[in-house]
Amino acid sequence: MNPLKAVKRWFIDPQFARKKQFLRSLDIFKDLRDRELGYLVQSLHSRTYRPGEVVFMAGDIGRALFVLETGSVELVLPASGDGSRAKFQLKPGDFFGEMALLESLPRTATASATEKTHLHLLYKSKLDALLAAEPRIGVSIMSHLARLLSSRLRRVNADLKPVFAKND
Amino acid sequence: MTKDRRPFPLTGVVLVAGAAGYAFFRLHHALTPFLLAAAFAYVLNPIVSYFEARGLRRVQLVVGGYFLAAALGVMAYAGLKSLILSETELLQTRAPAYLGQLQKMAFAQQAQLTKRLPLPPQIAEHALQSAIGGALHVVHDLPSHILALVPFLAHALLVPFIGFFFLLDAPDGVEGGIQLCPSRFVEQAIHLLSEIDTALGNYVRGLIIVVAVIFMVSFLGLIALGVDNALIIAAISGISSVVPYFGLAMGIVVGGAMAVYQFGTLWAAAKVAALFIGIRLVEETLIQPIIAKHSLHMHAMTNLFALIVGGATFGFLGLVFAVPAAGIIKALVSVTWSWYTSERGLDLGSAEGSGVPYT
Repeated sequence: MNPLKAVKRWFIDPQFARKKQFLRSLDIFKDLRDRELGYLVQSLHSRTYRPGEVVFMAGDIGRALFVLETGSVELVLPASGDGSRAKFQLKPGDFFGEMALLESLPRTATASATEKTHLHLLYKSKLDALLAAEPRIGVSIMSHLARLLSSRLRRVNADLKPVFAKND
Repeated sequence: MTKDRRPFPLTGVVLVAGAAGYAFFRLHHALTPFLLAAAFAYVLNPIVSYFEARGLRRVQLVVGGYFLAAALGVMAYAGLKSLILSETELLQTRAPAYLGQLQKMAFAQQAQLTKRLPLPPQIAEHALQSAIGGALHVVHDLPSHILALVPFLAHALLVPFIGFFFLLDAPDGVEGGIQLCPSRFVEQAIHLLSEIDTALGNYVRGLIIVVAVIFMVSFLGLIALGVDNALIIAAISGISSVVPYFGLAMGIVVGGAMAVYQFGTLWAAAKVAALFIGIRLVEETLIQPIIAKHSLHMHAMTNLFALIVGGATFGFLGLVFAVPAAGIIKALVSVTWSWYTSERGLDLGSAEGSGVPYT
């Protein structure tokens, strides 16, 4: 084996490298450089949830973005007028609760793990600290969130078009 | 808001915090090295984190860092050995004479001042005797005050040893704590941790800058004034600056006493006092604004109150940790208030321009 590679392997943290690799694969963090991903990994907290464990409930004040690494999470919206509850199943690589990074507002859905699930949490104040120390990281994440918000608004506008047309 | 939401268990948290505080009060002597080691690890952690962000293993970084620090310490000692030894010898040989000289000086000044004061001679003499006697008593007791710090020096080996394990395992400890926390309160727990870390981290880093600057500037200033034992006086003043206002007082008392002995005039002591007051003013006007944005943002009276309560409850250790502890309490109150206002929907203001249609 190349001795240089052996020394490098002895110094490099494989778990840290794996986390960085995972984050790089996500759309929201894909524009970040290697060192920036390193800072981001340090800003994340991780937690493993048991099957059925509630991550947060609708109405809880949101303060963190959740990134799903393994397992699955179900998002359940509060019952609508006809009593039905919309459900969304999230898979590894998905993220949710992202609007908490913009405003500390009540969550609009209940999130719970449907199997053993490993989540990474990016807390709002950690992102704020990153914005101050490493503005490129914050700008990249915020610009992605802005695009996401804009596309959702367009979708809502499109969904509401028939309603507006009927009222006119 | 759904009806099945459980409110934050504030009473439970307050009870647990109260019990933990009482237990800490009862056991604080035994916990002292652990507290100092935690502070030691907390100060050094950003250096480890800086290299860790580049993908390096924490274990190798901490072990390597300890070896490097030991090597640098040996080199620094080798370089400064002659200066340290000469200062220590000078202090040892002259120490008994210092107090005698001071007493002689004080009584000589007393006779002159008695004549100048616009008071009946007996009253003036009595007033000056009590004032000078009090001051000499303080100077006389100074060695015993400094000796009170010796038990802390006994931790000199224990603190880095325990700090080593804190540095190695702190991130895993935090993640373990988050794993143990009920899932519904994970966000709140991280909010609290984050607030404390931001406030405390910036305070500690600011404090290190202040201590280093006071040590360096007072060392150079004392050398410029030609005062003996400049290194020791600067070190005492710098390290004492960990306790707000204490560094200034120690610098003036120890440096002033040395100057009076050495030069035999009160004018020399006044110059030393002016030096330390000047350093304090420079610190307030030039250094504090730079680190203020990172500080705890607490009122001077709050600091003073924390120092008095800390000193009265936990002694010297209380003085050192009073301000950061007050910062933690402030973060706790701020986080609790933030939860309360969020839960009650008091801070759900909409952004300006939100009424304009989406285009």
